[in-house]
Amino acid sequence: MSLIEMRSITKVYRNSGFETEVLKGISLDIEEGEYVSIIGPSGAGKSTLMAIMGCLSLPTAGTYTLDGEEVEQMSDRRLSRVRNEKIGFVFQAFHLLKGVSAIDNVMMPLMYSENVPKDAAGRARAALTRVGLGHRIQHTPGQLSGGEQQRVTIARALITQPRIILADEPTGNLDSKNGAEIMAAFDLLNAEGATIILITHEQEVAMHARRIITLKDGQIETDRRYENLPQSEAGPAGAGAK
Amino acid sequence: MRIFRNLRQALRGLGQSKGNTFLMTLGILIGIGSLTVIVAIGEGTKAKVLERIANMGFGPESFSVIAGSGRLFFARTENPTSMTLQDADDIRAMPTVRIVVPRQRVSIKAVYRANFTETRVYGATPDWEEARGWVLSDGEFFGDEDMERKRRVIVLGATPAKKLFEGEDPIGKKIRLGQVSFEVIGLLEEKGLTESGYDPDDRALIPLTTSMSRLLHQTHLDSIKVVAVSPEKVGEVMEAVRQLLRRNHNLSPLAEDDFRFITPEGIMQWVTQSEQALNRMLILVSTVSLLVGGIVIMNILLVSIRERVREIGIRRCFGARRSDITQQFLFESVFVSLLGGVFGVVFGLGVCFLLERFDLLPTRVTWEPFALAFAFSSVIGLVFGIQPARQAARLSPEETLR
Repeated sequence: MSLIEMRSITKVYRNSGFETEVLKGISLDIEEGEYVSIIGPSGAGKSTLMAIMGCLSLPTAGTYTLDGEEVEQMSDRRLSRVRNEKIGFVFQAFHLLKGVSAIDNVMMPLMYSENVPKDAAGRARAALTRVGLGHRIQHTPGQLSGGEQQRVTIARALITQPRIILADEPTGNLDSKNGAEIMAAFDLLNAEGATIILITHEQEVAMHARRIITLKDGQIETDRRYENLPQSEAGPAGAGAK
Repeated sequence: MRIFRNLRQALRGLGQSKGNTFLMTLGILIGIGSLTVIVAIGEGTKAKVLERIANMGFGPESFSVIAGSGRLFFARTENPTSMTLQDADDIRAMPTVRIVVPRQRVSIKAVYRANFTETRVYGATPDWEEARGWVLSDGEFFGDEDMERKRRVIVLGATPAKKLFEGEDPIGKKIRLGQVSFEVIGLLEEKGLTESGYDPDDRALIPLTTSMSRLLHQTHLDSIKVVAVSPEKVGEVMEAVRQLLRRNHNLSPLAEDDFRFITPEGIMQWVTQSEQALNRMLILVSTVSLLVGGIVIMNILLVSIRERVREIGIRRCFGARRSDITQQFLFESVFVSLLGGVFGVVFGLGVCFLLERFDLLPTRVTWEPFALAFAFSSVIGLVFGIQPARQAARLSPEETLR
């Protein structure tokens, strides 16, 4: 059984009597340990797909099975627990709590765990050290650079040891140097066994993954897998595609 | 525990928006502060009135029965003659009664040589001293033998003593009440004027028998003072006395009482009636200000939810349940409300201290303001916090992060 199984997922938004079908029958499987990029132009439905994968929103139709559990059947309480235990989010806009230190931001997901580990602060410190911020744990987001803030969000995503890391345009607000550092961090996490799903519209970022799913108008246009990292190949379309 | 973690998040949230926290606290502070002051003034006034009543000779276990229908000090009948010594003896026979003092009263001119003054003269029994709890500053009170022999002896209050004797020692001197001569045998200790201007010292006491046969030449009584065995028995004794007097005076079931009671509570109600009305109005005003404080909290919280939509979304993303968000906002509301309550009590106590210090109004601090502040603040925090808290929890995590 795959970690993520999506069958004929559609998502319709209703607003003031207007209906917009953002996703039109998406079906895909993602295995544990995969490194997947979902790319596509604006309005293709990438963020909506990520919201459904992250259990932040439910599909209008279709079935989504996460780690063997049907998401549509889950209560709000169960969805909260799944988000807490199985998914780590990294956002383009960082979404850190303002005025709260890096270590407290990283510890925040543990506060909503069923069992808060006794060494929560120690774990948060270790996560920050792992992303190279061991020396800035007491700094608030306002005192950190964009790259540092994004590294705090990665540490926060890792703190509950989730099954999946969902990253929505993680380098979108960063310069190329910081962007490269963040991508290197994801590469390393995947090498260590983490399942990573990147949502991006930047081809260069998408190339870090071993599988690239292209969305267009709410549907999967292409779904390609690579033996090696496509960025090491000659062209973006990757000769190593399966 | 999860609830404590949510409490910690709430405290952190409040710490981060100090301006909002201050404004929310201020509304409750004013309400609770004024409530504290009003309750303290109410209690202070009550204590003062009770003190005055005690000075008038009413302990908590005593009351007076006055001849003639009416209410308290206001008679509807003139010169009632229905109350007799027999009534007093019958009351004395009750097991729940400790002391009974039958009395006659007249306002009369007292003369000593060229000095004279108009004073209230009471014919009473020797028990008066104990019933009234009024000690003598000099000499002695009349006794049973003075009663039996109808002796013309008199105990003077401080006011007639001063006016008649002007510094001379009155003990053993003779004064005249009308045409009857009396020997001064004792002096009552001075009490001083009450705040309302009543002079309790303007009085003199003679044996009841002397008063009946030598001064007033009448056998009916003006009043009977009754002291029950304990304050709790007063109500029971009053009812028994009422039944007894109605029977003794042959009153038909439809006739109104031809006597009236003066109790500490009755006087208290009478004296504090206007103050109570004022108090009620002030309590209403402070309740309104508390409600306004609650509405301020609700509005500021609603605005702050709009400002903190993203924070709510982030928390929901990382595992916060709806109930966590509800609790967090509810804790914030209850906490600022309680904070306002604590500061309000402190502020109120400060005002009370100043009122006492500059002798503006009597105040008395009791535990009630603290309990009221705690109860009111919690309720206001809960009631006005629930709507914003539920609104925050209903937000969809996906939409809040867009």
